Amino acid sequence: MLKKRKLSEASIPTSSMADIAFLLLIFFLVATVIDVDTGIGMTLPELSDLEPPPVSKDRMAALLINETGDVLLNGEAISLFQIKNTLKPRIQSKIDLPSNKKLIVSLKTDRKTVYNAYIQALDQVKMAFFEVRDEYSNSRFGNNYDDLEEEEQQEVKDAVPIIISIAEPEQVTK
Amino acid sequence: MKFEKKRASTKQDIPTASLPDIIFMLLLFFMVTTTLREVEVLVDFALPEAEALEKIENKRLISYVWVGKGNKIQINDSIVMLDDIQPIMYGKRQALPNVIVSLRVDKAINMGLVTDIQQELRKAYCLRVNYSSNIKI
Repeated sequence: MLKKRKLSEASIPTSSMADIAFLLLIFFLVATVIDVDTGIGMTLPELSDLEPPPVSKDRMAALLINETGDVLLNGEAISLFQIKNTLKPRIQSKIDLPSNKKLIVSLKTDRKTVYNAYIQALDQVKMAFFEVRDEYSNSRFGNNYDDLEEEEQQEVKDAVPIIISIAEPEQVTK
Repeated sequence: MKFEKKRASTKQDIPTASLPDIIFMLLLFFMVTTTLREVEVLVDFALPEAEALEKIENKRLISYVWVGKGNKIQINDSIVMLDDIQPIMYGKRQALPNVIVSLRVDKAINMGLVTDIQQELRKAYCLRVNYSSNIKI
């Protein structure tokens, strides 16, 4: 007679599975560096021997930063934090002009200017442009620049292009 | 009289069978997003702070140049001289035509050096740069 043997249920203990997964999870949590690279983007001009074409004075905003961090805007001394508010009306006044008449900001430094001063000035200039862009897109599309559709963004970009020129450094003998 | 609590006859524990799966999901997410640090930074630097920041969308395009205290320049894993920048960066540009150079420069460095580096980058046709800086709070 065949006796049916009762099979004990064969199973892998899975209760510790969660713990193992947790350990791995903690390792990756600790090892993860989610650092988004932030910074101020710029495009350098191409190297060429050609003289840059002359630009009318009215288009130019020449910023000069000397080694002590003093700022000259078109020959007038202003403080670093005034740059934004001084530039904004000038950018705004050129919104309706054709693209070859928009404002150009030229940034020039001394060889001994501290990098931080340069970044602060560049930051102010960028902020001026960004704020004008936001205001313009708000009045036109009722939304901030970042929330616009791509074509709308392009339109704002065409109206308020960011033109910053890093002037050729002067050859100063040290 | 016998007091008896009315109790539902159903089981009362939380099913934990799917717990490992949930954890594995999280695990996979972190495994995918992790980028282990590839290079060791040899120079000592403190980034400047700014407000009008942009995020770099594509991390693969970035190539770093560190400039730290004592005017030391680091690219990849080693300290380089100013004259070495052009050939190195030109090679990088050939491998990745739209490379973005992230300049991680100490805030106390003189602009003279930064301008020199920029001139080298222009010679190497690496024209997209990003002045790495922290968010001002």
